[in-house]
Amino acid sequence: MSVEYFEEEEFKTQFNGQTLRRILALTRPHWRWVVGFLVTIALVSSLDSIFTYLSKLIIDNGILAQNRSELYRLLIIYGSLGFVQASGVFGFIYLAGVLGERVRYDLRQKMFNHLQGLSLSYFSRTPVGWIMSRVTSDSERVADLVTWGLLDVTWGMMNIITAMGFMLFINWKLALIVLGILPILFYVAYEFRKRILGEFRNVRKVNSKITGAFNENITGVRVVKALCREDANLEEFKALTADMYRSSYRAAWLSALFLPSVQLVSAIALAAIVWYGGWQVQVGGMTVGGIQAFVSYVTFMMWPIQDLARVFAEMQHAIASGERIFSMIDAVPDVKDLPGAYDPGTIQGDIEFDNVTFYYDEGDKKPVLENFSLHVKRGETIALVGETGGGKTTIVNLICRFYEPKSGSIRIGGKDYREYSLHAIQSRIGMVLQTPHLFSGTIRENIRYGRLDATDEEIVEAAKLAGAHDFIIKLKKGYDEEVGEGGNLLSVGQKQLISLARAVLAKPEVFIMDEATSSVDTLTEALIQRGMEMMMKGRTSFVIAHRLSTIKRADRILVIEQGKIAEMGSHAELLRKRGKYYSLYTKQFRHQMEQDLDPFSQPEQLAAA
Amino acid sequence: MTVSEAVLNYDLKRAVHTNRLKGLWRLMRGFRKLYIAATLSLGISAVAKTLTYLLLRYFVDDYLVAGSAALTLPAIALGFILLAGLEGGFSFLSGKLAAQTAEGITRRLRNYLFDHIQRLTFTYHSRMETGELIQRSTSDVDALRRFFADQAIGIGRIILLFVINFIALLQLNVKLALISVIVVPVIVGISLIFFRKISKAYEEYQTQDAVLSTTLQENLTGIRVVKAFARQEYEIGKFERDNWEKFLRGKKLLKMHSLFWPISDTICNLQILVGYLVGALMAINGEITVGTFLAYAGLIVWIIFPMRNLGRLIVQTSTGMVSYNRVMEIIKQDRESLETGKHRPKSDILGKIEFEQVGFAYDDGNVALEDITFKCEPGQVVALLGSTGSGKTTLVNLLPRFYEYTSGRILLDDIELKRYPRLFLRQQIGIVEQEPFLFSRTIRENITYGVGREVPQSEVEAAAKAAAIHDIILTFEKGYNTLVGEKGVTLSGGQKQRVAIARTLLKNPRILILDDSTSAVDTETEAEIREALQNLMKGRTTFIIAHRIQSIMDADLILVLDKGRIVQRGRHADLVRQDGIYRQIYEIQTRIDDELEKEIASVS
Repeated sequence: MSVEYFEEEEFKTQFNGQTLRRILALTRPHWRWVVGFLVTIALVSSLDSIFTYLSKLIIDNGILAQNRSELYRLLIIYGSLGFVQASGVFGFIYLAGVLGERVRYDLRQKMFNHLQGLSLSYFSRTPVGWIMSRVTSDSERVADLVTWGLLDVTWGMMNIITAMGFMLFINWKLALIVLGILPILFYVAYEFRKRILGEFRNVRKVNSKITGAFNENITGVRVVKALCREDANLEEFKALTADMYRSSYRAAWLSALFLPSVQLVSAIALAAIVWYGGWQVQVGGMTVGGIQAFVSYVTFMMWPIQDLARVFAEMQHAIASGERIFSMIDAVPDVKDLPGAYDPGTIQGDIEFDNVTFYYDEGDKKPVLENFSLHVKRGETIALVGETGGGKTTIVNLICRFYEPKSGSIRIGGKDYREYSLHAIQSRIGMVLQTPHLFSGTIRENIRYGRLDATDEEIVEAAKLAGAHDFIIKLKKGYDEEVGEGGNLLSVGQKQLISLARAVLAKPEVFIMDEATSSVDTLTEALIQRGMEMMMKGRTSFVIAHRLSTIKRADRILVIEQGKIAEMGSHAELLRKRGKYYSLYTKQFRHQMEQDLDPFSQPEQLAAA
Repeated sequence: MTVSEAVLNYDLKRAVHTNRLKGLWRLMRGFRKLYIAATLSLGISAVAKTLTYLLLRYFVDDYLVAGSAALTLPAIALGFILLAGLEGGFSFLSGKLAAQTAEGITRRLRNYLFDHIQRLTFTYHSRMETGELIQRSTSDVDALRRFFADQAIGIGRIILLFVINFIALLQLNVKLALISVIVVPVIVGISLIFFRKISKAYEEYQTQDAVLSTTLQENLTGIRVVKAFARQEYEIGKFERDNWEKFLRGKKLLKMHSLFWPISDTICNLQILVGYLVGALMAINGEITVGTFLAYAGLIVWIIFPMRNLGRLIVQTSTGMVSYNRVMEIIKQDRESLETGKHRPKSDILGKIEFEQVGFAYDDGNVALEDITFKCEPGQVVALLGSTGSGKTTLVNLLPRFYEYTSGRILLDDIELKRYPRLFLRQQIGIVEQEPFLFSRTIRENITYGVGREVPQSEVEAAAKAAAIHDIILTFEKGYNTLVGEKGVTLSGGQKQRVAIARTLLKNPRILILDDSTSAVDTETEAEIREALQNLMKGRTTFIIAHRIQSIMDADLILVLDKGRIVQRGRHADLVRQDGIYRQIYEIQTRIDDELEKEIASVS
């Protein structure tokens, strides 16, 4: 479930009746709407045939019979039915259209809500882009099938049936000839549609490659120029546009050929009618109006047929979309509340890892954590240090119960934490991530994320405690300043301070911090340090530490290496030991000092951003 | 039919015009005949359709009613098939030619833009936002494609249909014809008004769609935060609000559609009804024949109903016009020439460089470099030290002529730099950036990128080994064929840098520019990178942009820059003896060692 899934544009499935039924069932809560648009479209469709029949009557009984009053009568019927049809048109566009929007809305909501309940493991193995296109494009395709698709099928069928009915009524022999031609028409139309659709998919694929090529060439223009790759790049790009030209030309070419081909088939039918009909008029079995009606019925029959063909060609893809949506909705969270899970009211207390083994993937050769045991006393501050990939983040993930141990157990306050509800644990943990994530909106909204019912005063209070207040009030709109998408209008340091304020506001019982590695200016650094210190006071805290001051302040330092505790103890103890911690510390010390003392280093200015 | 080279290589700069319609016409250069042929075919097809109705008239009047037709029944039947064939054939031809025109123009435009953008100056690139450029090259070009493929041809089709069928109607009966078109201006007017509104509503709908996507994306990328604060309910509520708003906007859009179509239907139907009434009465009175009435009843449909789409096409055309401007703004810019410059030596350069009172100022007059004078012999190492904005990067950017110095002169092998063609210069210079840009291709392709010849695997591996990246590449499942980037492996900053070193080793330039700020690299890999760099620098004139002293202690010349000027110069041994920034930095090292001693002593 990784790369192959991401490249799923070509994903096609065989006709799957079960999925189709499930897709159709999406309209069940709104069945009145479905009935509404089906009835109105059926009305509109049969009126089309009636109009043609009325024209026949106008010719035969009005004009040819030279009967003026009959003519007026027929035209009045024609006109009033016209109004009826117009309201029918209003009805089906409104009903089917709005229902379509509604089904999209339902689907998006269902998917989003389900996603919120899925475990972190789902998100780490599913690319964001994949999920995005399920929620955006697949939902559209499925909704289109159950509204416009259903509508087109009904319209087409109704149109063909009523037209056939009238034709049979006017002249059954001639009608049978037309009936014989219908399957051919449908077959031709369907084959065309399938190919056209295929070409359009190809066009879309090449198009995204072209966008990619532009993107890369523009962002990498420095390298392109430095390596004199202009000509080679242009050649590669020309191959892409040639591909694009071929596909889109073929798609346009097929589309252009499509209507004439269908028209030609119906022209042959038309010729047959003229031939046979003309002979019948002489014999006396057919009227002029009757021939005219036949000509109209046959000419317009190609529209329902081409619509039907289109819907059937597209259905395949809509079903594939449906399958992907359902695969997501059917995904089960790995971590969920056990039956009888309860909220203990607090999660203060000792946290114990008891022989915990953990791996992310069944296929992993070596577990990330192996027989890991640790007893953290209430209120203790633990610093986790060590190489990337050693397992520090995993320990934090397990405490938050984003994942659960594969074997062994974690106890909070003496009880296996799986007995508690997820919400009970997670709502009492405050977390500051290495790369702070903010949401679009104002600073106030972002801080309030920590506790939704917090008053404005409490937000200011939290910001003050976290050291964010000073820079916030210097902004033009203060707390109402927009942070931009993902917080990109703020500097890294500012984002860190706000995410710290967010955690402060949450008043968590356990505090977890993944320290940022990127350097911020000294003032911000000091503010963050102060905020952290305040958070750690009296709380059980875990810090994935990079800054020397943080490490030194911890009650206990754990050097994590290859899923195990390599060294453990206080700063002084470990330093005296002259082991792994010693070398790690001295290296970090040099690195940090070099940065701090470098007269050239100009870290971002907090106020300037 | 294929288009000639001359047409494909037409310089689109000539399509820049203040009159947008004229500009669009110029953009069609080389495809105009095709386009005219497409329009003509459309006309023939429309005529065939009209003739079908006239044949129907003949069939009814002369054959059925009068029974005195000169043509036999099979001939008439054959006539219908022929006309249908004619109509279909030419409509196909028109579609085919129109596609050739539109796709051909677009292809040429895309190629031109792509090439144009990569040849624009650095000044332009640093000024423009990437996203903006990409959007203009993709969505705006697509809007232009739609203009040529749908709108231009669609408007032509509607007008042709109207003219031809109206002429036919006039032939049938002038009075009837005039009565039948009363409603046309009304329909066009209404459709214009409606579609203007619809396009606005559609934009609002699209905007909300973007908002919803952002909400979704932020939720997905920040899922750890959501979970850490147990904010699932809150997120659901937030998404629900945006989702509902999108539903409402979609509903509004649909309401407009559901009003427009029946209303325009009714108007068209009323017109047709009036036509029927007048026509039928005339037929009864014997003013026209039954066949004429039938032909009339068929033709009128093709005059009235297509008009409803005219508004849509006209509204969309204005989008195409806006896109034309946006695309042409890029095309208007001047490229930097890679070829101009008289001096192009047959062999590689030696790498002797002299700066003589060189200065550089940006277009807006901002001075970035001033009075830079120094000299270095082939194979020497020049180190540049200074804070961000001191001019280090600008200085090295002058060498490959990314920027042109604005005063003084630079001599390369005793010849002024401006006399070398850019292409030649850049082939002689290799650049390794601090955070190098890699392309989403395989590692092998990234290493051979820019070499411009087939490279045997052994040579690639040798370069990778010298760059200390070979072993890491082998740990990937697909080795050298591993894709870099989103769809493949994510390389760390240090790994990227070493791939770039391998890339530069293969290029084998005479002059080297290194950005040696290793701050992004974790301490483990620092030594390996240093070794790789040593391999790379051997025998090449090297410019190092440095942050720390260890990497430049052996440099032949150290330049300390501040605010665009050289404030200190010399070798390490000289500089440590002078008062100044250099010594300050140097002393930091000793200070660190002292502090560390103290630190360790304090715990024991």
